[in-house]
Amino acid sequence: MRLKRSAILWIGLAAAATAAIVAWKPTVLVYGVQRAGLYAAVAIPMALVLGIVHIVNLAHGELMMIAAYVSYFVANRLLHLDPIVAMAPVAVVMAGVGFLVYKLTIRHALKAPELNQLILTFGIAIALSQAVNLAFTSQAWKLSLPYVSASATIGEMSFGVFPFVFVGLAVVLAVGLRLFLTRTRTGKAALAVGQNPRGAAIVGIDVDRTYTVVFSLAVGLVGLVGSLFLTKQAIFPGVGGPYTMKSFCLVAMAGVGNITGILYCSLALGLAEAVINGIRGAGTWSDIVFFAIIIATILVRAWRERKI
Amino acid sequence: MRSTLRILVPVLALAVAVAMPFWSGAYPLAVARSVLTYLALAVSWDMLLRSGQISFGIAGFFGLGAYASAVGVLRAALSPLVSIFFAGVFAAVVALVLGFVILRLRTVYFSITTLALAEIFRVIAHNGGGWTGGPEGLVMPALVFGGEQRALYWLVLGAVVLAVLASSAFERSRLRLAMTAIRGNEVSAASSGIHIFKYLVIAFVVSSFLQGIVGGIQVQGYGFASPDSAFDANYTLLPLAMALLGGMHSTTGPVIGALLLGIAAEFLKLKIPYGHLMVYGVIILLVILFMPQGLWGLLRGRRRAPGGR
Repeated sequence: MRLKRSAILWIGLAAAATAAIVAWKPTVLVYGVQRAGLYAAVAIPMALVLGIVHIVNLAHGELMMIAAYVSYFVANRLLHLDPIVAMAPVAVVMAGVGFLVYKLTIRHALKAPELNQLILTFGIAIALSQAVNLAFTSQAWKLSLPYVSASATIGEMSFGVFPFVFVGLAVVLAVGLRLFLTRTRTGKAALAVGQNPRGAAIVGIDVDRTYTVVFSLAVGLVGLVGSLFLTKQAIFPGVGGPYTMKSFCLVAMAGVGNITGILYCSLALGLAEAVINGIRGAGTWSDIVFFAIIIATILVRAWRERKI
Repeated sequence: MRSTLRILVPVLALAVAVAMPFWSGAYPLAVARSVLTYLALAVSWDMLLRSGQISFGIAGFFGLGAYASAVGVLRAALSPLVSIFFAGVFAAVVALVLGFVILRLRTVYFSITTLALAEIFRVIAHNGGGWTGGPEGLVMPALVFGGEQRALYWLVLGAVVLAVLASSAFERSRLRLAMTAIRGNEVSAASSGIHIFKYLVIAFVVSSFLQGIVGGIQVQGYGFASPDSAFDANYTLLPLAMALLGGMHSTTGPVIGALLLGIAAEFLKLKIPYGHLMVYGVIILLVILFMPQGLWGLLRGRRRAPGGR
């Protein structure tokens, strides 16, 4: 009963906020939703790793950056593939990268204190972004694609429609992952390992193999997002870093293991940022809103879980 | 024998460091100054790390100190030396206030929060308008000691001595036992009567004070503070890699790591201007995987004294 009441409260709040935004500046709603799609698509693979392998991967955003570079230099420059067409091959390549990263580093730190794991993935992040810096310098690279500027007009308002692909991708990822985890044998095993690795091992699940599969899969999904990311903006070595933070924030906000929740939380975050950007002269402050939300979320979570 | 060495080696090292400007050229002196800056940060970072809390916000408190010192001189007409002290106090007060909230967080939650705080400080400096100079930052009218290179070097060395003294004081007092106990097992530490929160706050405030001082010295020594230079992620990355390489949870470890890595990095920087920082990432990786106790840990023998020197 109490749960229901809070659900109604949330829906009411969301509806009120949406109505207020529509009344104020309808384009803000569009941009907010588009942002949210990208955030959710990047965050979902991190949730998978955190929920099952129990590793906070601070190299998450850097892996997406690597995927975008692979898509740009190998798929586009060398093979003349469109970033959208390249999504699948890049995802396969990135799954391979994920496999290597897991086998060479993460696997050896699974039993180490959490502190060491955190610093380890931080080191991976630095090594990846600086390796790209070394190879391609810090120059920004951008593709010019005709179709990304497609726009639509509703009444007086016109806006770009292409970024909605991120929303589509996020929903596909969320639904696909849910099906994978509940319907397939490997997925069910992964869920079991996530809940209790020792118990899973006792009933005969190969824990190490499951971790390998899940980590490679997650990095492969990051590859999908990374290739598509190339259609959105210029890429440079530091482009992925902020997405690590944003993803972690969303996962923490939704609660580990709650993939659908990530969709709602990214919607809230995307809209909040779009609103700040919509206020004239306040655009440069939009980052602070985001970081304030991270901190507030973490604190509220800690409070609720009585960690405090 | 060992205890004489323990006093003799640091004293000799200090004597060499103090005398360095008399026999070295301008270039080595400039390198030494930057290495010592990172050294002080590395030692200060480790002081909090001993309790098991990883801060990714070194650059945040460093930058806070840098701005506090610059604003102090420009807006409050403080003398540069006083402003450096003010920078430390300011960073410490901010750490105290924030610490009451964020030190209740553990593991990755604490780390991400410190990283986010550093970003918030940067955005505030960026958007501070006239007070912080906005994106261009602030330029000092004059350097401390008139920009005399030797004096600037000794000033940084002074910060290093302060950090090393504070760190060894931590090691020699009951703080060390408390911190090691907290790192090992917080519940059992609490049940043996350790006031965990109090010790975390002390460590956080003292390490932030040191980082603020170093930031203040940086600004007064180079004459400018901008959001991108003062909150540069390198001020988090380099000290972290140095402390790891040398050996965590000690004073000697970060010192050794900073000297080795700092001097090595200077050569690398000349050889590869872009991406030499990759070496730091790789070092962090290799150390965590193969040598988590660091160089000093190896030197002390495989037997790992818990939290020892």
